[in-house]
Amino acid sequence: MGSDVFEISVNFVKMVAIFLLMVNLVPMLVWVERRGSAFIQNRFGPNRVGPLGLIQLAADAIKFLFKEEFIPPKGNKALFLIAPIIALIPGAIAFGSIPLSVPIEISAFEMFGSQWGPYVFPFQSFEIGIGIVFVLGVSSLGAYSMLLAGFGSANKYSLYGALRASAQMISYELAMGLAIVGILIVYGTFDFAEMIAAQQGPLSIPLFEADHVVNKILGILPNWGVFYQPVGFILLFVSVFAETNRLPFDLPEAESELVAGYHTEYGGIKMNMFYIGEYGHMMVASALIAVFYFGGYSLGTTLDTILVEGTIVPNMSALFASLLNLFGSGWEQSTNLINVVRAFVFHGIFMAKILLFLWIFVWVRWTLPRFRYDQLMDLGWKTMLPWALANTIITAFLMLFLR
Amino acid sequence: MSELDILFYILSSMSVLFGALVVLTSSPIYSSLYLVMSMLSVAGIFMTLNAPFIAGIQIIVYAGAVLVLFVMVLMLFDLKRETKAFTKGRFSGFLKLVGAGLLCGFIAGAAYESVSLIMATSEEIPTNIAAAAETGFSPTTNSIKEISKLLFTKYLFAFEVLGLLLLVVPIGAVALSRVAGGTHAKH
Repeated sequence: MGSDVFEISVNFVKMVAIFLLMVNLVPMLVWVERRGSAFIQNRFGPNRVGPLGLIQLAADAIKFLFKEEFIPPKGNKALFLIAPIIALIPGAIAFGSIPLSVPIEISAFEMFGSQWGPYVFPFQSFEIGIGIVFVLGVSSLGAYSMLLAGFGSANKYSLYGALRASAQMISYELAMGLAIVGILIVYGTFDFAEMIAAQQGPLSIPLFEADHVVNKILGILPNWGVFYQPVGFILLFVSVFAETNRLPFDLPEAESELVAGYHTEYGGIKMNMFYIGEYGHMMVASALIAVFYFGGYSLGTTLDTILVEGTIVPNMSALFASLLNLFGSGWEQSTNLINVVRAFVFHGIFMAKILLFLWIFVWVRWTLPRFRYDQLMDLGWKTMLPWALANTIITAFLMLFLR
Repeated sequence: MSELDILFYILSSMSVLFGALVVLTSSPIYSSLYLVMSMLSVAGIFMTLNAPFIAGIQIIVYAGAVLVLFVMVLMLFDLKRETKAFTKGRFSGFLKLVGAGLLCGFIAGAAYESVSLIMATSEEIPTNIAAAAETGFSPTTNSIKEISKLLFTKYLFAFEVLGLLLLVVPIGAVALSRVAGGTHAKH
């Protein structure tokens, strides 16, 4: 975790903070979901408790925590209790391995009378060399929570929901994996930070020369993956809806047929943990889409240069230093402080992109009707898989000829 | 003993423990869930051995796909009759004897083979690494590129044959479902 006390403690704080970031976004998203659905359906939504109904979240959380615990007497108690815990793990681990901003470079400084060496802190819970392979592997474990919940509840509706959920997740994982293969061929790396680095600069299509008219016109656009892999983007975007079990693919919990699907027997904080898992999956999916197709934490070269070289970040860090001086003295403007503030500015950009995609998740949920089960399987196996295969092959051939 | 060694002992004892529980529990659902845990511990061991890509593939393929299907199919079965059939009888007794004999053989073979490795002095072990380097694989460099180079040059034939073998399995499953008595039989 690190070579000395400072590095270890910063890494530890980082790990906890990113987990808390994920968990604490969930109530906000629930609020967005309820208010957003009301907005789309021309209703009011929760608007009584606090301003804009924001305190409703706290009321709901307290209600969830104090609800009576119920375990179905004929169910399997161990599996029933372990399922909500497993629901929380994949999203949390996968979100922790995605870099949420540029790494923070800290040069050597003096504190508490001793010298602390130069550090580089990546803006993620833990660094793992294989990036996307790890995220895919960990998030595919999410199917177990639904299977165990369905089996442990000893309820026919739960079992149906669990079977639907796992069949759907396995089917759409193929299309999702192949869509990601296209992006891997384009960038030639598994690492998230390298992918984002490859999307810097203005858009220039390798078919034409660098100073060709077409590239000059396209040069106003950022060099984002969505312009190279539009089909892959659509395929990934559709399949993450199926992977997160959101409408239009929420067959596992289809309330008109299956009561509530795999979490029929759950109530209180246990059901809430399934929700946190689902929203965690959504955050991971949004972050992946942002990294693959929308430049991750960068905003295109021009804006990035303004942030890195302009006066905005130094001014902000000077302001931050003077704010810190209100509580204790000795803080001054330094390159370390500028680096930290810059990393947080890029983090803000990345979070804005993630929140935009999360809003699209909500928007789609309350706009589209649900698929029938055979339509879902037809779409997955007969439409998306061939398109994903064709996309992979065409991308591979194009990359071969353009090199 | 470094922290990697401690991690290795924890993970390997976990994988052995869960592997034993796979065969010791009578409920097939629990067996397959213990198998998932065992696979995840093996993935962790790969991670400590500086092979993160193999670990990731282990999680995606075994824990994430194959065993999800196992658990899903096992949930649909009512295995009371089969459990009874395999606890008594001459045929299952024969199978158990064969299984126990094979297990003893494997353990004895593994112990015999690893004697030389355990007894090896520290001067001899680097020759193994040198031998591994002769195959063109070095774990310290970019392992994904190395693995794919080896797969598509030196081991291309074995790789393609394995792919063909996997293709035979779904074709066989479809063919079996269409014969008389299968789920998709015509008559």
